[in-house]
Amino acid sequence: MLDFLYEGKVFDSFTYKVERCKIKELAQAIGDDNPLFYDKDYAVSQGYKDTPAPLTFPTVINFWGYPEIWKRMSEIGIDVKRLLHAKEEYQYIEPIYPGDVLTGTVKVDSMRSGGLMDMVTFKSTFIREGKEALTAKMTIVVVAQGE
Amino acid sequence: MKLPKYEDITEGYEIPSLTKEPITQLQLVKYAGASGDFNPIHTIEANAKEAGLDGTIAHGMLVMGMLGQAITNWAGIMSVKSYLATFKSMTKPGDVLTAKGTVRKKYENEDGKFADCKFSIEDQNGEVKVDAKVTVKF
Repeated sequence: MLDFLYEGKVFDSFTYKVERCKIKELAQAIGDDNPLFYDKDYAVSQGYKDTPAPLTFPTVINFWGYPEIWKRMSEIGIDVKRLLHAKEEYQYIEPIYPGDVLTGTVKVDSMRSGGLMDMVTFKSTFIREGKEALTAKMTIVVVAQGE
Repeated sequence: MKLPKYEDITEGYEIPSLTKEPITQLQLVKYAGASGDFNPIHTIEANAKEAGLDGTIAHGMLVMGMLGQAITNWAGIMSVKSYLATFKSMTKPGDVLTAKGTVRKKYENEDGKFADCKFSIEDQNGEVKVDAKVTVKF
């Protein structure tokens, strides 16, 4: 059962420093060989300050920067063993680069409980030097056990 | 890497597709470490079976990352303004995924020139894994 008192709740902020190796590691795990992620000189020649983070890097920031999310989900009443990832949405304001220090904040953006499934959306906002650099929304669902 | 020009694309323009190597169990282990998502249904067969699955499944975010590779190959990083993904079905080790995309709409406003694109990534049987909407700024 979802605890709707959590709707709108903002969890404690966390700080995440972007490491060059973590950018490469994500690109490698995806099997993305674009030199943009590995070669600073190449990235600069393409108009970037440094090797930018891949498009799905926000997930790295969230899981490594705020692993407590699993505990928070359990507190809300989400069965983490049965959750499914339904949606992921990113709004990119500016590229993320090695050395960036980001302050992340996760909010319980919306909660819904239908007959057959629970659905919860978390919104993360990442601030760099006082300015919003990125937002991420993750929607998960838990389907009711029918059997 | 040549970025597309606003003038050169048209609505209906097909973005170059990308076919990935087959997904391996080792890749899921690497992705778990890279992303920090250690849900064991992706890496440990016994845990996957306990959760009611036939075997391990790929992280949805790995599949979104592969689709992201096709987006970046075409548009780079800084031109991409938003990326919205909907997860449609599960991906297993051995699956061979192909990402493709189409320009749906191009438009200009006070903030610049944009294209709204639709992307998807599917397996060797044509089953769609992730659908996505992407906005690119020129």
